[in-house]
Amino acid sequence: MFKKSLAIPYALFMAIFVLLPLVLVLVFAFIDASDGSFDMVTNFKELAKEQALGKVIGNSLIAGLSTSALCLLIGYPIAYYLTKTEFNKKGVMIGLFLAPMWVNFLLRMMATKAVFNVIGFKMGMGAVIFGLTYEFLPYMIMPLYNTLLKIDKCYIEGASDLGATPIRAFWKITVPLSMPGIVSGLTMVMIPSITTFAVTEIMSNGKMMLLGDFIYSLKADSLNMAAAISFILLIFMCASMIISNKYSNDSGAKGGGLW
Amino acid sequence: MVRKILVRTFIGLVLIMLYLPIIWMIVFSFTETPSFSDWSGFSFNNYINLFSGNGPNADKIQEALLNTLFVGFFVSLLSTVLGTLGAIGLHAIHSKRVKTVYSTVNQIPMINSEIVTAIALALVFNLFAAMFKINDGSWGMTALKLILAQTTFCAPYVLLNVLPRLQKSDNKIYEAALDLGCTPAKAMFKVVIPDIMPGIIVGALLSFTLSIDDFVITKVNVTSFETLSTLLYGLKNGKHPLPADIRALFTIIFFIVFALMMILYTPKKKQEKN
Repeated sequence: MFKKSLAIPYALFMAIFVLLPLVLVLVFAFIDASDGSFDMVTNFKELAKEQALGKVIGNSLIAGLSTSALCLLIGYPIAYYLTKTEFNKKGVMIGLFLAPMWVNFLLRMMATKAVFNVIGFKMGMGAVIFGLTYEFLPYMIMPLYNTLLKIDKCYIEGASDLGATPIRAFWKITVPLSMPGIVSGLTMVMIPSITTFAVTEIMSNGKMMLLGDFIYSLKADSLNMAAAISFILLIFMCASMIISNKYSNDSGAKGGGLW
Repeated sequence: MVRKILVRTFIGLVLIMLYLPIIWMIVFSFTETPSFSDWSGFSFNNYINLFSGNGPNADKIQEALLNTLFVGFFVSLLSTVLGTLGAIGLHAIHSKRVKTVYSTVNQIPMINSEIVTAIALALVFNLFAAMFKINDGSWGMTALKLILAQTTFCAPYVLLNVLPRLQKSDNKIYEAALDLGCTPAKAMFKVVIPDIMPGIIVGALLSFTLSIDDFVITKVNVTSFETLSTLLYGLKNGKHPLPADIRALFTIIFFIVFALMMILYTPKKKQEKN
């Protein structure tokens, strides 16, 4: 009984600072800021009027999809390689790929920008996608690595015994079996990358905005509108969570497996 | 053979992409030019300026560093206490439904988009300010706000690091301590806590790192309070994004964080071996 009661402080804290804020997002999204009345549509109508929003969504789609694709294309071979590394090198290699995650992302972006300035790389969409890929690559590698590690070698040996070439065995066995990792990696890259704020600003010299920067800019004039767009994002996040849970019942492939 | 070379080249290129900017910064922390391009001779002056407080950004750096360390320490302390207690409680609860709710709520801050978390917290702080008529603006109030805000996403990591330790430990020793006359609280401190100490330490280090790293939640929720992250952000529009003394400061921080991470990753390697 004593031990169970120890759960109470944390539960209270989480109720006040995690659940209540989300409820408030829900409430504020449907409150008209001008008269404080409950209103289903006002904030969303105001959002639709924002001229910048169309461009922001367009840019976010381009940046988000390119970043996810790049992270997958770069991350998959690396995760695959890491599973094949001999044991004594494995810890070091995984550490090397994950350590940048722990260096302040602003610092990495500023350093990248400084390097780009020196070599004359133009700041803009290309630099933004580079920055986002840089930041989110580890989040793709980890779930992929965890899933690939769990694939039983018997299936691949079986395929080659039955006459499949290594390449065919890879596409027919390894890739389908690593689907949960791919889906969970994509969910950890796609929405977080377009809602990160500051990367775009730094890497495009303030010329571009993605959803994260847009929400931040809204915060100054209207918290209600910021809440409305956060609400829409929450729906997307829930959807992507449900999809990724459907593909994998294994929560270890997500954040928990990182350490 | 060709394939092996291709694979190595690819891995090498990605590692270069990941580390080039950081290494470039470290190298240029030993020269005094404002820009990243022209090397003006090797010197320790950036570091000397940093510690003697003479650099061009000295005042800002000192303020930001103190604020960041202060907030980081208390976030780490609060997260560790809350997360550890939460983990012990959660481990003792048998009802499956309560367990599911508890761990789902625990996951929210980790998977939620940071900017949404930040806006949501801003709403809650506004509500409290209105409810309790807090005239928010003093240094102490701002620091408190930031500590509470950052604890929301640090404590879940502590819980997740302590829980596996509890699952491995034997409840019989705790019961034996009770049978031998310990009060539950004494048994907790003498038996359970020492048993799960490695998990607690990892959790505490992790929350400290997460706290000094945080930018989005800090920037949205507090104004006129400089941390290392907001200090960096303030320099973004300059002609030279990373001035000399800032490079020296972040080189030192990089090595501290890197060392911390090595400590965190090493025990895991030993476990895998067994």
